[in-house]
Amino acid sequence: MSHAAKRRIGTAFRYTFLSAVSLLSIFPLYWMAVASTNRTVDILRGTLIPGTEFLNNLRFLLEGQNITGAMRNSFVNAASTTLAALVICSLAGYGFEVYHTKNNDRMKIVLLTAMMIPFATTMIPLFRMFAQMGLLNATLAVILPSISTPFLIMLFRQSTRSFPHDIIEAARLDGLNEISIFFRMFIPTMRPTYAAAMTITFMGAWNNFLWPRVIIMNNEMMTMPMLVANLTAGYVTNYGVLMLAVLLSTIPTVIVFFLLQKSFAEGITGAVKG
Amino acid sequence: MKKFIAATLVLALVFALAACDTPATGGDAGDAGSKLTVWCWDPAFNLFAMEEAAKVYKQINPGFELDIVEIGWDDLQTNLITIAMSGQLQALPDIFLVQNNAFQKNVMNYPELFADLTDFSVPYHQFGPSVVAYSTIGGRNFGVPFDNGAAVAAYRLDILEEAGYTLEDFTDITWDTYIEQAKDILAKTGKPLLSGGAGDMDLICILLQSMGASFFDADGNPDIVGNEYISLAFDVYVQLVSNGLMVEVNSWDEYIGTFNNGIVAGVINGCWILGSVQQADDQFGLWGITNLPKFSNVSGATHYSANGGSSWAVASSSSNVDLAVDFLTQTFGGSIEFYENILFAAGALANWLPAGESDVYNEPQPFFRDVPIYALITEFAGLIPSNYTGVYYYEARDAIGNAIVLVLAGADKDEALKDAEDTLRFWMMQ
Amino acid sequence: MNLYKRRNLTGWAFLLPAALMICWMSFWPMAQSFMLSFQTGTGARMRYAEPLNLNYGRIFNDRVFIQALQNNFYYLLIQVPIMLILALILATMLNNKNLKFRGLFRTAIFLPCATSLVSYSMIFRTLFAFNGFINTALVRVGILDAPYNFLTNAPSARIVIIIALIWRWTGYNMVFYLAGLQNIDGNVYEAAKIDGAGPVRLFTRITVPLLRPIILLTVIMSTNGTLQLFDESFNLTSGGPANGTITMSHYLYNVSFVHSANFGYASAISFVIMSMVAVLALIQMKVGDKR
Repeated sequence: MSHAAKRRIGTAFRYTFLSAVSLLSIFPLYWMAVASTNRTVDILRGTLIPGTEFLNNLRFLLEGQNITGAMRNSFVNAASTTLAALVICSLAGYGFEVYHTKNNDRMKIVLLTAMMIPFATTMIPLFRMFAQMGLLNATLAVILPSISTPFLIMLFRQSTRSFPHDIIEAARLDGLNEISIFFRMFIPTMRPTYAAAMTITFMGAWNNFLWPRVIIMNNEMMTMPMLVANLTAGYVTNYGVLMLAVLLSTIPTVIVFFLLQKSFAEGITGAVKG
Repeated sequence: MKKFIAATLVLALVFALAACDTPATGGDAGDAGSKLTVWCWDPAFNLFAMEEAAKVYKQINPGFELDIVEIGWDDLQTNLITIAMSGQLQALPDIFLVQNNAFQKNVMNYPELFADLTDFSVPYHQFGPSVVAYSTIGGRNFGVPFDNGAAVAAYRLDILEEAGYTLEDFTDITWDTYIEQAKDILAKTGKPLLSGGAGDMDLICILLQSMGASFFDADGNPDIVGNEYISLAFDVYVQLVSNGLMVEVNSWDEYIGTFNNGIVAGVINGCWILGSVQQADDQFGLWGITNLPKFSNVSGATHYSANGGSSWAVASSSSNVDLAVDFLTQTFGGSIEFYENILFAAGALANWLPAGESDVYNEPQPFFRDVPIYALITEFAGLIPSNYTGVYYYEARDAIGNAIVLVLAGADKDEALKDAEDTLRFWMMQ
Repeated sequence: MNLYKRRNLTGWAFLLPAALMICWMSFWPMAQSFMLSFQTGTGARMRYAEPLNLNYGRIFNDRVFIQALQNNFYYLLIQVPIMLILALILATMLNNKNLKFRGLFRTAIFLPCATSLVSYSMIFRTLFAFNGFINTALVRVGILDAPYNFLTNAPSARIVIIIALIWRWTGYNMVFYLAGLQNIDGNVYEAAKIDGAGPVRLFTRITVPLLRPIILLTVIMSTNGTLQLFDESFNLTSGGPANGTITMSHYLYNVSFVHSANFGYASAISFVIMSMVAVLALIQMKVGDKR
């Protein structure tokens, strides 16, 4: 077989494989979208055809639930968590790798254990702490427990490994101090990692359920996952309305991913030189 | 690059301010005056009933205000435990709704959360005895009964008729007759009569309560091995499944689907299931309801049982216990007008017996071939045997649910029940 | 102050905010739960157990916990390798600059982890139901003689959970590989190609070794995630049939919030889970974190 033919088969295989995986991945979203336009009976009959109930479901959802409030709360929580987490964790990840010593290497393992304990266990002491600080129902109480995560610190630490250390030395010789090296050299170079971290953190914070559900006890601060959970808590579940709410709460994460995917997949390696 | 950093810092500041700006109020329990906070779930049902109750109570107490927070039972339970464990009782609302099956457990585990309502003027004698029993612990009352979980047997009359049966053939019958007729219907129409979740304990619990039986003896010790009632309930369950008379599914949505899609010709569950039955408007006029089959030759066996249901609790930490109890007494325990309002709009049935005499309960329901089903269900509700739930009810359900799965897979019944009791005893060890 | 010391201090300064937050938000509550793991009782009436290690002693006599432990390791051993290899292959494919519709493919493959559990568990149950699509298809093709109830039989229910996990988390891990691939100098590939290396060789000799720090991270994360798995067990199978698919975290949840809450015991279970994850992570770091 000629080289060109081989390559053509390779290309065909690649597109077929990726299309198949993509279709499998998209199907539930399609199903969800279709379900949001149908009635419960039709959904339970397994329809795959868009129905005519979308406006009714939307009206029901808007009248029955404070969906704009929940979207806003979820957004504020997710955006502030993401921002704070990115700054704090990338500083730490960078510090671990660039100022590498035996001691802070050991500390890394200790920090990691913080993510190995199931949250259900630390929840009660945390709740007591926030209640005593008078922070029940406060945004701050929602975001504080998830802004310093060992996972993100590790992600930045592992990514810093491929960050050329001679750049740091060169910058030091140019007289830049350590913090400006971080902000001026590290952040722009690592933009792909930041974008990936941002996507994942935003998604995690957006979907966070157990802790916000425990610490938020009023309707005003309700988030989207809480709203979705409430829709399934009744005697009769309206699956069309439920799927519409689920769809609405999925869209922001997808948008964030779509906007950021270029920066983490087509990184700007040139920034190092600039 | 500098712009990027600047923008980041500004954003950080904005969010920090937004975060600090939020008023840090605890639960609103501390708010004296005439405002109450309530936690409950289900907007179409409990929340609606609460709103209607507030309207009725405002006629008596014009300054009355109610703040209802929507929270599902599972999450409400998580919050109750979290609050009790961390000792932060001020986070509780004034009133909260508790599943009947979990009421005794919560009062026994966390008595500090609940106000004792025994010495208030709640007219307990006007409620069915089995619903009062759920929230009675050691002779003291801790709840105001609300949601009626009376069990009904509903049948697709068209399918019954196709096989030559009527609703009368399924009224006041025994389980033996039920199984006979179900086999015949399956043979003639290809439709099983029942469906249920695999390993789901709803049906077993309904069967047990219809005999007034429990997983525990009067002292709260496990009573599984050698418990004749559990053994009988298992036999019926196994016969239903192994003869294909009951379709086993894996989730709630599939369960609803089995009758909405006409896969099965009947339902046995708490009367609240009728809300889901009525979603299939192409089955309009095809359904009828009656009482449950009963066990023959068992003392205490009845045609009546319950599944689900819930009662209102008042938080001991509330600064307004008097107001909260008065509100509940004047509405849920004293207003026919209130029960009439919530009956049609929410299908919410009264546990407060005087409401059952109201004319609206006797109005025919077209979905059910013009039978006045609400009067019928209210009549059932008064006849339900009480059963003991106790602290370890959910552990028992869990253990026995596993036993039934194993028995259906071919395990020996007595051994499976022995294992279930061992597991239950293990969980009860503190 | 010499240069070394100053560097060292700067390093600690970079770590400080994160370390303080973790101490405050994780270690302090963890210390309190650790004390709790030696106690027994409910609500405000917790007391130290007699003997002190009562809760820990119970764990390995707990049949449901042992079952859950086995399930967790079964998921871990089968699902994690398949998922990570698939994610690596997908990331490599999507890193190709000549590929069209890259953005669409990437977004599509990422979608599953953003899709809500509510809908995806409904879909998986529907697909694998007795009358579901999978059964119909398998019977038509002739692989099965009669429909098989996948979710009411423990071995097949576990496989459904594994399929669901792979479906949901492959795209998530792909994101890290994609970001990691950006840091590999394209010239390395060009040089290897000139030397006549094929795609497989490029993958095993260049991509995998250079991505090693990130691969290690995803292995640790997936191990942690799988041993703390909750969602799939809870939503897809409810742990059934007869605890055949239940996970340790799901059992922990039952012990904490469904059963009569036994937080002393629940805390002890948590620390056992933590120790297992920690040991595995330590081994993985020793093996994979060579400088």
